[in-house]
Amino acid sequence: MSGYSRRDFLRTCGGTGLAVAAASSPVEARTPPKVPADAVGMLYDTTLCIGCKACVAACTEANDLVPDTALSGGLWQTPTALNSQTKNIIKLYQGETDWSFVKQQCMHCLDPACVSGCPFQALTKGDKGIVAWNPKQCIGCRYCEVVCPFKIPKFEWEKFNPKIVKCQMCDHRLDEFSQPACTQVCPTGAVTFGQRRMLLNEAKNRIAKNPGTYHEERVYGEKDGGGTQVLYLSHVPFGAIGLPKLSDKSLPSYGSKVHRMMTWFMVLPIMLYVFFVTLVRKNWREHDEEAMQAETEQGLRDQL
Amino acid sequence: MSRSRPYDVHEMRPGRVNIWQRGVPVWEAPIFTPTFVLLLLFIAIGTVLAGMRFMGGLGPFVGSTDEYAWGVWKTFNVMALTALGSGAMAIGIAAWVFHKKELHSIMRAALVTSFLFYFTGLVGLITDVGRPWNMWNALLPWKWNTESALWEVTIAMPIYCLIFLAFENSPLIVERIWFTGNKKQRDRIRKWRPRMRSIYPFMIAGAFVVPIGHQSSLGGLLVLAGDKVHPLWQSPVLPLLYLFQAAICGVAFVIVCVMASCLVWRRPLDMKVIGSLAKLLSGLILFWLVFRFADLIIRGQLGQAFELDAVSIAFLIENLLVLIPALVLLKPRLRETPRVAFTMALLACVGGLLYRFLPTTVTYSPGVEYIYFPSVAELLITAGLMSMAGAAYILAVKLFAVLPAPLRSWYAMMDHAKHERDSERKADA
Amino acid sequence: MVAAPFGLALTEKVRAQDVAETLEKARRPSVIWLHFQDCTGCTETLLRTSQPDVAELILHLISLDYHETLMAAAGKQAEAALHDAMKENAGKYILIVEGSIPQKDNGIYAKIAGKTAIESLTEVSANAAAIIAIGSCASWGGIPSSGPNPTGAVGVDSIIKDKPIVNIPGCPPNPYTLLGVALQYATAGTLPKLDDEKRPLFAFDRYIHDHCPRRAHFDAGEFAEQFGDAGHEQGWCLYQLGCKGPVTHAGCSTRHFNETPGVWPIGIGAPCVGCTERDIAFKMPIFDKAPVPDPKPPATYPAVTAPSGQIDPIATGLVGFGVGAVVAGAYVASRKFSDKPGDVSVPGTEGESEKETSEE
Repeated sequence: MSGYSRRDFLRTCGGTGLAVAAASSPVEARTPPKVPADAVGMLYDTTLCIGCKACVAACTEANDLVPDTALSGGLWQTPTALNSQTKNIIKLYQGETDWSFVKQQCMHCLDPACVSGCPFQALTKGDKGIVAWNPKQCIGCRYCEVVCPFKIPKFEWEKFNPKIVKCQMCDHRLDEFSQPACTQVCPTGAVTFGQRRMLLNEAKNRIAKNPGTYHEERVYGEKDGGGTQVLYLSHVPFGAIGLPKLSDKSLPSYGSKVHRMMTWFMVLPIMLYVFFVTLVRKNWREHDEEAMQAETEQGLRDQL
Repeated sequence: MSRSRPYDVHEMRPGRVNIWQRGVPVWEAPIFTPTFVLLLLFIAIGTVLAGMRFMGGLGPFVGSTDEYAWGVWKTFNVMALTALGSGAMAIGIAAWVFHKKELHSIMRAALVTSFLFYFTGLVGLITDVGRPWNMWNALLPWKWNTESALWEVTIAMPIYCLIFLAFENSPLIVERIWFTGNKKQRDRIRKWRPRMRSIYPFMIAGAFVVPIGHQSSLGGLLVLAGDKVHPLWQSPVLPLLYLFQAAICGVAFVIVCVMASCLVWRRPLDMKVIGSLAKLLSGLILFWLVFRFADLIIRGQLGQAFELDAVSIAFLIENLLVLIPALVLLKPRLRETPRVAFTMALLACVGGLLYRFLPTTVTYSPGVEYIYFPSVAELLITAGLMSMAGAAYILAVKLFAVLPAPLRSWYAMMDHAKHERDSERKADA
Repeated sequence: MVAAPFGLALTEKVRAQDVAETLEKARRPSVIWLHFQDCTGCTETLLRTSQPDVAELILHLISLDYHETLMAAAGKQAEAALHDAMKENAGKYILIVEGSIPQKDNGIYAKIAGKTAIESLTEVSANAAAIIAIGSCASWGGIPSSGPNPTGAVGVDSIIKDKPIVNIPGCPPNPYTLLGVALQYATAGTLPKLDDEKRPLFAFDRYIHDHCPRRAHFDAGEFAEQFGDAGHEQGWCLYQLGCKGPVTHAGCSTRHFNETPGVWPIGIGAPCVGCTERDIAFKMPIFDKAPVPDPKPPATYPAVTAPSGQIDPIATGLVGFGVGAVVAGAYVASRKFSDKPGDVSVPGTEGESEKETSEE
């Protein structure tokens, strides 16, 4: 390695060593967002849902959405999935021997990937733990769509002024009605609203009182994906009703140690910068001398 | 044919003679060639379509759906092509930090290509966001979400491109003004030159730190996507893998670009410099492959690579495309063979591009029932962006002293310029 | 049946006898009924009532002082009755108008007793307490106003602006709507709550579609496609045959006609033509499909995972072409480079003449 002296080598080692030291220094793990004690939630129980879709109609009305009638030529509200006109939908799983309805909407995760990934805080967790979207700060990058493990946020592709559309638990009318429209109209109580910890208790009671009814004898969303505020009790496998298999670690906490390391008070970037500047300046001085010498010899200006 | 002037020989290293002694503009070729006009046509088509997309919303112009929310622009023009544009970072570090002096001769080419890739990447980014009028939030620190990898990319890319790379490319323009300008301009340049040279090293160092940050953040973007990215690519150390892959792509692309430029504009090659770059490339690739496979083994995903379904075949191809060049370029003789160096560097470019592009689009799977393919408008805008980079590169190479050449090319240019001035004066007289 | 609409709900602590007594005790209010451009269908529909029937109505409940079809008088006697009623009950009589009022050419297209309809209406309404416009013609112009409206026919509220008006559109409307409004006024002195087209809410607040007995067929997608086909015979929804139920406010789907259940247009298999709505009736073609203003989910369910996205063959072709071009170009370029190690000549030339440079 001609031109790369022993001193340079030692400097490289020193710099790398410093960097590694900073990396293994006691950097605290990333703290997930604080979830309030009175965080609200919804509990959906597939054994009680009759597929009446009153919740779909109520959600459309309460949120001033234009019903998606594309597939029916204007006759019925016929979305096949959540989309920019549908924040809540009832779907049907039909297996060989079993079947179930499933209600799909935003899960209001305890540590949402969308909130972690949004570059300008357009998605935030509000005071009741509701994940809400702010049009003033959204640049429409759709990163939230990429990272959401439940594939919830939807984008208004056809609009000139596109919004991100997803369930916000009717937070614009919670003060007036004290619950979202879907839970308000549900005739069987398949979906209920309340504080998350109370709903969790209720769910566990149901499991205890009806052994063998609920899949895996557990409530989905207690820990899945770091925990969600919308909880599911299902008599069929969770995967069958579209609930993905997630670890107990939330997505933002996966790989966060590396990121946290990198950005801890910008120490690493600053040290890297100091390291580079030291070496570059030394080499620059040498380069400059040679360049000026060549300039006088050749009569041609040096090219940086 | 060679002029015997005492200063033809410029020994950068003892015992070695350089072919590439000085950057020289491609003065002998006209600007408006058929290729250039064709590129302008693509740029025009792309601009019109982009204008329509701003008026009409993203939907009609992209093949994206809510499941494949990112089409081709963010994933290809930004994530993949800026890897090719990391030449300034990789070669800069090799030249300025690790003291490889012979690489200074192609620094200008690396800087120009990096700037152009980043600039078109930024244009692509603006075209892609659905609510660009809120981009002013980027200037308000209290609106930032510093936890987000995309925030890092959105802030760092413009800073890198428009401040650091622009500064590092300014000597090109200053030089042209010096040689073609009037006395007042030369006085001003003479006055500012020492100041610019004194802050240059600080800007160079910054131009290493910033891309290290955002090139790794480009990898970090995928970490949050979780299971949608196939396990053969998804990893907590994705940022570091992306960073080193960027260095690989950058070096490989500079090799390809400079050699192709010499082919097109009939310049001699300096195989010592190319050989040095190729050696660097080979070392980087081998280090990266070891790192990557170590990560795969630690995560227990190596078995997936050999299942021979479509995904694993893509994975194997992607790795072979970089492994073969790495092995071939280990031999000094082959490194200095033009055809081998060019072909191997090209394979490495493709392999690197695949590594950056596959996990975001091709092997990205929100669910088996969802498919995505870019729409025609999307592809034409991508082509427009790439044509913009290509046309700008051609223009830069012809107007500024970017491509390295022997000194006698410079003197030939000066003679030609003098000859033209004389014949003008004769015509006036 | 009549008591309910004007608030004397029998479920409250009021018995039917008390209602009858109240009605008896009220001084029989004076009612003047004017006809203009009409077919007299609205009067005819009034005759098809039984609770109360017309005799009970005009003999015991109201004082029908002027009605060209029903009154015994004719000619000058009839005119005298009109003037007397107007003088005696000034400020207290109800004016019921049937038929539209022509405006073109100073309104000469309807003249009774030498006066145009406009003159007549203006004169009689001047001292009326309230005006009820019965039928679509009086409400907004009706059939005479359908294109090209050669007589410039309009409804009452286009002429009279300073009196309370109740519109009861329909062609004809259900007579009990009229009875409800009139008797509420007669006993309580108030008019029912009206919508922004001055129609009583108790009869016009909902679309036919929202109360239609065939709605379940609509929700299930069971439509009659042609008159007389199997669906039509089974009483399926008539939407595909142009039923305007989704955009028509009226009470026909619950009240029916002729006091016989099932006797109403949709009930007998004829799609609703929207006779109460000024933008629909006699304007929108009968067999054109109406837009559905508030669609609800149907009785079908989407699967848990629904595919999305598509591949455009032209785009695939473009990508193939582009990739092919790049590969070909790369191959051609690579052949141009020399395969001699350390060859520094200009690529594409066969190693000419650069030896001097490399030796220097």
